[in-house]
Parts: sequence; C-alpha cells; structure tokens
Amino acid sequence: MRLEKCWFCSSTIYPGHGIEFVRNDANIFRFCRSKCHKNFKMKRNPRKVKWTKAYRRLLGKDMTQDSTFEFERKRNRPERYDRNIAENTLKAIKKIDKIRSDRASDHIKNRLKTGKIQRQKEARKQLEQDIHLVKAPLALAQDSSLYLPKIKVNVSQTRTEENQPMEG
Amino acid sequence: MGGLGNNFCNLPSTSSEMTCGSFLSQQQRTFIQMRTVLKVVDNSGAKKVMCIQALKGKKGARLGDTIIASVKEAMPNGKVKKGKVVYGVVVRAAMQRGRCDGSEVKFDDNAVVLVDKQGQPIGTRVFGPVPHELRQKKHVKILTLAGHIA
Repeated sequence: MRLEKCWFCSSTIYPGHGIEFVRNDANIFRFCRSKCHKNFKMKRNPRKVKWTKAYRRLLGKDMTQDSTFEFERKRNRPERYDRNIAENTLKAIKKIDKIRSDRASDHIKNRLKTGKIQRQKEARKQLEQDIHLVKAPLALAQDSSLYLPKIKVNVSQTRTEENQPMEG
Repeated sequence: MGGLGNNFCNLPSTSSEMTCGSFLSQQQRTFIQMRTVLKVVDNSGAKKVMCIQALKGKKGARLGDTIIASVKEAMPNGKVKKGKVVYGVVVRAAMQRGRCDGSEVKFDDNAVVLVDKQGQPIGTRVFGPVPHELRQKKHVKILTLAGHIA
C-alpha cells in the first residue's frame, strides 16, 4: 500500500480513492477525485489554478523548503518488516506531521503579518479622522475618556474653537 | 487527449452552459463489443482489428479479456493478413477497470495484442504500456514482451 499524491492538486490519495490514468507514453497520472480529473481533461495547468498546491508553492504562499519534507521522499526499496521500526515510524509520523503543519501555519502567519499591521495602522488613522461619525464632537470634548490618548491634546482645543462659530 | 472529443460543440439551447458542457465533455467509456475497432500493438502485421465477439462477458470485453476479432487493416508483409479472424487480448482500454486495492485505471485508447487459440502472442514485440492485470489472467508472455507495465 502506498499513499500517492494527486497530480493536479497534490493532496494524498488514500487507497480506494481516485483514478489512475496511463497515457500511451507510459506517463501515469493519479487523481484524488473527479474534480482534479476533469480539470486535467480540460488541459488546465495546475500551476495556474489557484486552489492547487502547485500554484500556492509557486507563488510562495505555502512553505516550499523545509527539512520535514525530506521524510516524505519516495523510496523504492522495500524495507524488511521490523516491529520496532514500524512502531517508531508511526510515532515519528505523528510528530513530524505536527511539526510540519506548525511550521506551515507560521509561514502563512508571517506572510500575512505585514498586511495585518498595515490594516491596523489604517484603522487607527480612520478612527482619528472619522470619530465624529460615531460620537458628537461636543460629547467627545466633554468626556475626555473617549479620546485616544494621542489626539487628546490636539483636537480638544481646535474642536471647541470650531464649534462655537458653528453653533452660533 | 481522448476525453476531449466532444468538448467543442455549439450549444444553441438556453439551458445553463455549465450543465450542458459538463454532460457533453465527459465521454462515457464502455465495454469493447462487436464492431469496436481496436489498435494492434504488436508486430504481428495487423494494424487495426474489429471485434466480432467478446469471449466472457455479456456486455462486452474489458481490460485483460480476450476477444475474437477480424483484421481490418494490415501491413503488407506480416504474419496476419486482412480479413483474417484472430484472437486478441485487450491490453489497453479506455474504460476504467477497478483494481483490487479499490483504485481505478484507465488508458488512453483501446489496444489489443493478437494471440493464438492457446493464448500465446503471435508477434514478438509489444508497444506501449500494459497493465499488470494480465498476470492474473495468465498472459505472462505478453508481460515479458512489454516495455512498460502500468
């Protein structure tokens, strides 16, 4: 029994799933489900189809180089069965999986960090500029706790000055 | 590619394009039955062969089955001539065949290797990939001649 990778989306194909297509030049294409198979028949390039691992790795959205990938290399030599080795391998698989998924999620988090910081900066700026949509400036001037500490000094002065001509 | 034969068709109907397109672009591959033309992939001399009977199987022959066929097209100097009735073993079928581990295999075309009544191949070479379903059907000779076993 061997767990294969889908040619289109690179997910694992468990036994009993999927279709294997043998072309006349003896290239074997394995698909995990009919979605991938149909995309292949449409002659779509997996490197251009956004939900495939091939696309994500190509564009750097997913982790490409890591030492945990070495464990999954295809080995063509059959190993003699040894109970201890099998037991240790099963334990190791679990651990390696966990490490790999942690590293992958870290990679994604790091990638999204700059966007997050940018969004927070913009949100803060918007809060400064548009706070009058939420609370009346007069109420803000009276209740100083609603101010952000940073703008407390600047705004209170000018707003009270501006309000007087408006009200009058 | 085999499955794209029906892709390019004009759909004048107003029904949703997606369902019509997906229905027509999926060729339903079926059994090898009477009048099915198969490619011959050995050097016995024949090029194309038409099935006239599928031995075993009410609906038709599949991957690994034997058929009786009539030679429709042959090389000028070969062991078999046009019009001869021969036996053949299906080595590639476009219809998927279930494997014992639950997966399915399918090939790009329908191909056959000519054999005699005892099951020994007439030719001396086999071209293209062959499935290892042949081992179970005891066509070991064909497997040894094959260049690639799928």
